[in-house]
Amino acid sequence: MFKFGFWLQRVAQLFVVLLLVTFGVSLLIRIIPVDLATIVMPVADETQRAAFRASIGLDKGPIGYYLQWLGNFVQGDLGKIYYSGGTETVSGHLIKAMPRSLLLMAYTQIFALGVAIPLGVLSAYRAGRRADRVISNTLFIFSSIPGFAIGLILIIIVGTKFAWLPTLGYATFSEGIWEHFKHMIMPVLSLSFGLIAQYTRLLRADMIASLREDYVTMAMSKGLSDRRILWQHVFRPSSVTLFTSAALSMGGLIGGAIVIESIFATYGVGFEIFAAIGGRQYIMLQSCVAVIALFYVFFNLVVDIGSGFVDPRTRDRRSNV
Amino acid sequence: MFLAVFGSLLPFEHWTFVYEDALGVTPFSPGHILGTDNNGYDLLTSVIAGTRMSIFIAITAVGLGGLLGSALGITAAFIRGKVDLVLSTAFNVGLAIPNLVLALALVSVLATNVDMTEVVPIWRRVTVLVISLTIVLIPILGRIARGATLTWSGREFVTAARSMGMRDMQIIRKHIVPNVLPALIAVAFLAVGVVIIAEASLSLLGVGIPDGGSWGGMIARGRNDLEYSPHVLYIPVIFLAITVISTNQIGEVLRGRLDGRESKV
Repeated sequence: MFKFGFWLQRVAQLFVVLLLVTFGVSLLIRIIPVDLATIVMPVADETQRAAFRASIGLDKGPIGYYLQWLGNFVQGDLGKIYYSGGTETVSGHLIKAMPRSLLLMAYTQIFALGVAIPLGVLSAYRAGRRADRVISNTLFIFSSIPGFAIGLILIIIVGTKFAWLPTLGYATFSEGIWEHFKHMIMPVLSLSFGLIAQYTRLLRADMIASLREDYVTMAMSKGLSDRRILWQHVFRPSSVTLFTSAALSMGGLIGGAIVIESIFATYGVGFEIFAAIGGRQYIMLQSCVAVIALFYVFFNLVVDIGSGFVDPRTRDRRSNV
Repeated sequence: MFLAVFGSLLPFEHWTFVYEDALGVTPFSPGHILGTDNNGYDLLTSVIAGTRMSIFIAITAVGLGGLLGSALGITAAFIRGKVDLVLSTAFNVGLAIPNLVLALALVSVLATNVDMTEVVPIWRRVTVLVISLTIVLIPILGRIARGATLTWSGREFVTAARSMGMRDMQIIRKHIVPNVLPALIAVAFLAVGVVIIAEASLSLLGVGIPDGGSWGGMIARGRNDLEYSPHVLYIPVIFLAITVISTNQIGEVLRGRLDGRESKV
């Protein structure tokens, strides 16, 4: 098919972008005004430090260092975390952290969409009336309060005043499903408020536009019930926009998750980055940022392809750009 | 419609209110109107200093980012060809990392000290924050400027101007900038809100302004004793939220007006 070449070109483009991104991050590590070997081995002598530099390619100049890092990265070696007592692999940490972050984001998206869809439909149906105004204004205020503030306020009220929920940590499924969700409720809530506001507004605007279409008048004149028209004729076309926007908000969500994870000590990828910066583990930082960029870029590609399949109109529009 | 008009009036009050405070004018009599935190800092003065810092950082970063971003974006879209390819790729590279992750990485790398125990001076932290946030903003605003320029430079009047022998710089100044600018200003207001939150997040993570120097720093400090004196946390959050609501509202109103104009064209 003629579209195939277009996608191939896009994938090639993404690879170039990814290579440049990871190279940029590795350059960033190189311009740190501090000698990494000194950070890792504060008491070692010069020969030991030189050996360390050689082992991670720091003696090779920016491009050599990058290539060595990239070679290791592709093979799954993301570098090490250096403690005074020994080392741990970054990949080991990330394998533990990744599912937590992914679950957190998945719950957040599901919850946000679950709340936003009824709210958006309701406020589009009652556009301009009181219910719509109350919903829109409340959400506008919520959209301006950052997630971490909501998280901290939740900690004060739900966590310490009433002590209903644990304020720190994470529980795996094996520690009990209820326990798992108990630890997730507050982080998910604090991440989803902003998203709920964003989705509701989008859905409302899109549905109000759809409500003016001729086929809606047609459906009304056929005597279909309001409920049926709303969900089947108006919500369905609008949902594509909604889900695309949900996918696009992923970048902001990843950033927000760093703060939220560090507040609630969820030990996800965001927390690992936070820890890497605090502990001056710059190689870990480099690998973590690269992993996030990789995930983000491919996620966007999948969304692009997906929305092209769902709605052929976007496919043509995008290929024109 | 009613809300748009009313909303744009309301936040204006907040804006000037915050702004007057930022200049250090306290119209109230001495005493601790907003209370103090557990270290005995007066919260009113803290929040005033924090406001000044947060708004300064946000406006400088958005200003610089907007200036550089739009210059690059307009250049890319106007010259096209190889320049466009290079700049667009550069934008995409910047956009491939989620904003906050990029800012976090930049700040933590740039603010690194040789000696860990040595305190990083505050002006250096501010500079680093502004630079990092600017770098984050350039691709975002640049891409918007590029898109807007592309649509406008295809219009007839640009072709007409060129056929009349206008030079490129003249066309850009006379025809492109006035048309692209309103869109960018609307986005810039929204960006101020985003940057304020980003700065607060970074300070909360401990790489921004330390010890309550900004709203984020105050929130970070309030976090330590939120069980006994939650108001230490509430106050900067309220100020931050009000400011962000205002900038968002202004941005929305501007964008709304712009859309109205566009649809008439």
